[in-house]
Amino acid sequence: MAENLASKDWEPKIVAIVCNWCTYAGADLAGISRIQYPPNVRIIRVPCTGRINPFYIVKALQGGADGVLVSGCHPGECHYLTGNLVARRKFAALKSFLSYIGLEGDRTMFTWVSASEGDRFAQVIKGVTAKVKALGPANKLMKKLG
Amino acid sequence: MENIETKLREEAQRLLLEKKVDVIIGYEEGTLPLTATPCFITTSQDADKLVWNNLCTQNLAKFVHDLISQHKNSQKRVKPEDRKKKVVGVVARGCTTRSIIIHLQERQYDRDEVYIIGVPCTGYLDRKELNQAIKGAEILEGAIDAGQVQIKTTDGDKSIALQDVLADSCLFCRFNNPIISDTMVGSPAPAMNPDHEYDDVSEFEKKSIEDRWVYFTKEMGKCMRCNACRQACPSCYCPTCFVEQSQPQWVGIGEDKTDTQVFQLMRLYHMVGRCVDCGSCVAVCPMGVDLRKFLKKIDKDCWELFGNRAGSSMEDQPPLSKCNENDKEDFIFNP
Repeated sequence: MAENLASKDWEPKIVAIVCNWCTYAGADLAGISRIQYPPNVRIIRVPCTGRINPFYIVKALQGGADGVLVSGCHPGECHYLTGNLVARRKFAALKSFLSYIGLEGDRTMFTWVSASEGDRFAQVIKGVTAKVKALGPANKLMKKLG
Repeated sequence: MENIETKLREEAQRLLLEKKVDVIIGYEEGTLPLTATPCFITTSQDADKLVWNNLCTQNLAKFVHDLISQHKNSQKRVKPEDRKKKVVGVVARGCTTRSIIIHLQERQYDRDEVYIIGVPCTGYLDRKELNQAIKGAEILEGAIDAGQVQIKTTDGDKSIALQDVLADSCLFCRFNNPIISDTMVGSPAPAMNPDHEYDDVSEFEKKSIEDRWVYFTKEMGKCMRCNACRQACPSCYCPTCFVEQSQPQWVGIGEDKTDTQVFQLMRLYHMVGRCVDCGSCVAVCPMGVDLRKFLKKIDKDCWELFGNRAGSSMEDQPPLSKCNENDKEDFIFNP
């Protein structure tokens, strides 16, 4: 990301791994309601946040993402009953460990957005983009090619 | 110690004669001075080879899992009615029984397939610390006697207090006596010093984020990906480890430093609720990577977030395979 460091109009790359049943639909709603949000996120749809292997997050960071956002259903609203609660445990441990080894906590974000919260989705993306922008381009754990 | 050793041998002999176990995994004297090495005993005559002292380093639960899964694989082609169960006996101290409990919780084998001979543990000698204490001289002969390590080296005779060269994980051990056992040999050992077990971690947490990253990269820079830590770890038993997986290829196989960091990071993360702090990975690491500083953090988080100490009770479930509505979620982002 060295070339990004040099350029003034650097825009962060953010990977958003979202649940099919809530946040993805929430993003859809934001779209059809024409709510504006920053175009920095690349959305990956998964069946449930519980399906996310923590490796996805680490791999995204290694592969060039400046930030990773994971978003699923609010606790108690999981399509598979407890998928998001199990995921919450995994992410709590992962986030704490990543910041322990020295990666900025704001690079990995977790949140809940339901299918009816198109506005909240836009707010989340705005918030995450602002936080990652404040951190600048990622340079830790990132694989440099060539 | 001698007393425990003779009792242990008698017990092993009895179990093998009565055919209660097919094999006993224990420790025998190593080929180098001041070492003990894991051994497999199948006949009662060999029971006298067993030793139990402060040199027994490796966590034997690894071999329990290896033997039982090997045996199960060999039985796959046998008709179900002709399948035999094998009982593996194991000389187990606190951390070994914790690892066995983790295996049992994860349904790796049944409780009746393992026979646990519990032994009290007073810690094991850290080879790297000993080498530092004698400044790398070659050990010609050695013995442990009344809390003192007596060594004859190429630099002359030396005497070092055992307490000074015990492994870190032993000094702060909370479970030095077996948690579950079928028979106990010897009386329970005195408690170690578990109140300060997280001191190291708390100190590291106070450092700045840049310092922590510098330390992490420095330690991981030593790693040469020999996978010895994984081979020694009783909780690492996947038939195909993510390291060797090629579809998807989780970690690159080149010498890129981030690949090494990601490998270590993910192996450490796999230890949430599964690391018993036996120190086997640290003991086998040829490059002296400070893995314990990171493993202990995972242990600490697991205790603070989920109230779980890995393998501390048979009733527990693995913390990451269950959930609670009231789990902490202060890390959730709210715009």
